[in-house]
Amino acid sequence: MKRWWVFAWLMCAPALAWAVPPIQEARLDNGLRVLLMEAHQVPMVAMQLNVAAGSRFDPAGRAGCASLLAAMLTDHTARHTHEQWNRLLDKDAIKLGADVDVDRLSLSLTVLREALAPGLDALGEALLQPGWRKSRFAQLRQDAVAAAQKALEEPGVVASQEGRALLFGAHPYGHRPAGTPETLKRIRLRDLRTLYARQVRPRDAVLAVSGDITMDELLSLLKPRLASWQGAPTRGIFDLASPQPAQGKRKDIAMPTSQTLVQFIRLGPARNARDFFPIFVLNHILGGGGFASRLMDEVREKRGLVYGIYSYFVPRAVSGPFVIMLQTRADQAEEASRIVRRVLADMAAGHISERALSAAKANLVGGFAQRMDSNRERVGLMSMIGMYDLPLDYLQQWTEHVRQVRLRDVRAEARHWLEPKAWNEVRVGPPAHR
Amino acid sequence: MHKHRWWLGLIAFALLSPRVEAAPLQQARFPNGVKLVVEEDHSAPVAMVQIWLKVGGRDEVPGKTGLAHVFEHMMFKGSRRLAAGEFSKRIAAMGGTDNAFTSHDFTAYFETVPADHVDEVLDMEAERFAHLKLDAREFAKEIRVIMEERRMRTEDDPNSHMFEELSAAALRLHPYRNPVIGWMQDLKRLTIEDVRAFYRRHYVPGNVIVVVVGDVDFAHVRRVVKRTFGRLKARSVPPRFNPVEPEPLGPKRIEVHLPAQLPTVIMSMPVPVWRPGENDREAAALAVATQLLAGGYSARLQRELVDRQRLAFATAAGYDPFGMGIDLWYAYGMLGPKQKVADFERGFWRLMADMARNPVAADALAAAKRNMIASEVFAQDSLYLRAKEIGRMEVVGIGARHRDDWLAAIRQVTADDVRRAVGRWLRPERATTGVLVPEVKQ
Repeated sequence: MKRWWVFAWLMCAPALAWAVPPIQEARLDNGLRVLLMEAHQVPMVAMQLNVAAGSRFDPAGRAGCASLLAAMLTDHTARHTHEQWNRLLDKDAIKLGADVDVDRLSLSLTVLREALAPGLDALGEALLQPGWRKSRFAQLRQDAVAAAQKALEEPGVVASQEGRALLFGAHPYGHRPAGTPETLKRIRLRDLRTLYARQVRPRDAVLAVSGDITMDELLSLLKPRLASWQGAPTRGIFDLASPQPAQGKRKDIAMPTSQTLVQFIRLGPARNARDFFPIFVLNHILGGGGFASRLMDEVREKRGLVYGIYSYFVPRAVSGPFVIMLQTRADQAEEASRIVRRVLADMAAGHISERALSAAKANLVGGFAQRMDSNRERVGLMSMIGMYDLPLDYLQQWTEHVRQVRLRDVRAEARHWLEPKAWNEVRVGPPAHR
Repeated sequence: MHKHRWWLGLIAFALLSPRVEAAPLQQARFPNGVKLVVEEDHSAPVAMVQIWLKVGGRDEVPGKTGLAHVFEHMMFKGSRRLAAGEFSKRIAAMGGTDNAFTSHDFTAYFETVPADHVDEVLDMEAERFAHLKLDAREFAKEIRVIMEERRMRTEDDPNSHMFEELSAAALRLHPYRNPVIGWMQDLKRLTIEDVRAFYRRHYVPGNVIVVVVGDVDFAHVRRVVKRTFGRLKARSVPPRFNPVEPEPLGPKRIEVHLPAQLPTVIMSMPVPVWRPGENDREAAALAVATQLLAGGYSARLQRELVDRQRLAFATAAGYDPFGMGIDLWYAYGMLGPKQKVADFERGFWRLMADMARNPVAADALAAAKRNMIASEVFAQDSLYLRAKEIGRMEVVGIGARHRDDWLAAIRQVTADDVRRAVGRWLRPERATTGVLVPEVKQ
């Protein structure tokens, strides 16, 4: 009935702009923020519980600690061995996962609407009743060590590792969340327990939910399951010094590949940067807009040097990386690198047209609805909004923010961010052509 | 006792079985052979347009591997009305994204756009389909891009490089033995004339299926397709290349020596794909067996070979019931520094023998099926996956109308079906084993 009504409304008012579904907010007594977007068309619910326990909290020299904690929390509990736990999850088709980025550790749950209660039981048990079994820890760590070694077969992983180290040095953002074989071997079970005790706390944690449910239902299911979770994290998400910029460095890594991977990297903006939207639009013009972007046009379309080239920045609690990546046959790496530098210099000098700006804005504004047309995407957006304290009408204002970006704003940002000398360069490939 | 538990499992399953809420499909066929399938969904003002072609890597002739995929790239390189690159620029200006993918069995072009632009997209798609430019200079640039794509995806990735070699060794006649991206040796010799001949032969209206999922009205889309794709002149449709793969005569084995960190071992064997109404039970049983081995948290490969026996640090298995002719079923293990290839193989075949001998427990079977059906529900959350499932079933000849029959077949699989399917198809004497042997080279 309700669905019919929405449908009828859309048919009668096709000219109205699409109303972004509102984010509903509630706070549990323990300080957990709950954000919800209702979406009733598919009988499922997706959610993500975020705490400030990302890889930046890894103890020095023990990169991978937060990732192992995430793996342990979802592997077994105090009440269920891993085999019982796996059967319990599979019985009701409960998808319970865990992930880590530099700032956050998140537990995610995707369930059929009809399995919501057992799904939330599982989420609560994984979160609040960790099992800490030594034998499982030893196995998970050993498998993580092997996986980290296997990952070194990928040039992209090697470049990411080296790029972060070059850019952030000893700053907590300076390592990959997955860790390396060496750092993983040093991690002890007590490191995980310490991280858990300090950071996995409800105050200012965010539970983002999207799906076939209302706030009343959700809260009545959550309260009994999460009531015993108490306390505040030792460090808040914004409690972190900004990294010192590294500029103009170069690092070459030998790998027996046919291509050379070229990565340009510099510090980018933080998530709460006041000029976030002009930078966002600038990156779209540079290399974030796929085939419509300047780098793709110059390096692939005009010269056929690469299959793909793109740029992105990772806005976090403080400055994250701003990255440009390409892969090309080793003997073409120098040429490709030169063209990227030329594009950067050209844009930094203000050569960005009104036409390029309006094309980027049209693409971003028109494509906005696509950024949130699934439960998974909505949960990701709300997690970001909640953890970085963005306004709850962020999505309602999004297209307006993009529309308001003026050419002189973008040119000013280009001058600030794209100056070629400020970028560092990492190349991974065969030694003869580095 | 056993029987009793089996029944309990079935009852629980029936009670817990979710509604899979796929909207009804609406279809139309035009006199020139073009087919249209629409699934309306008015939850957001977005639509996914996908143009599916019954042409792919399998339709290439020897020496011309990679041609279908090269052709896919050329579709973005200009037509009578649009300059090279302009197609994508226009889609971007609408706030849309576009791309394409090629497999052995199909080529598909897709756009996600605000729903009020669907007419324009269909018009542009029909125009490039009918009036592609195929300029020699654009081809010369694009073939270099494709060689970079091959270097990135295959040559510099030891695991996919090994899988390419394995496929070529496992199959004798079936075109799944050749890589979709093409052998580098063939890519170097392709010409614009090859591309033009491929276009004339395969890009005919009878090979087209238009799929639209999203905030659209079927009657309206049908009118638009009628005056765009529907107007193309009918042409003869070439038969598809689908030889019968001979039965394996014994186990085969290859080693691939490449720069790598750690060994990987894959077992693969040809297995049947789903032919609705003919082998529902067997294909569904193979799918359930694969789910038991590699799906969900209780996956037996993970629990027995990784957790209990410590023979690998990661495992997976894959079966695609929606292929054409056969599927190359596979399972692999990624081995840690001290784990041995022979031990993993022994453990794997012991597990398969166990599955061929002992019926799976009722609760595990019920959980496997429930997870497969839940995945269908979760897939409804993505326009892209919904359109892809429809296009896929149409293009390989199954027909999207059979979408629900597959779930029905899964529901009917018994423990005995699983046992029999494993025993019949997943046997060591039918397998080709591939080993990635890390080569130390600095």
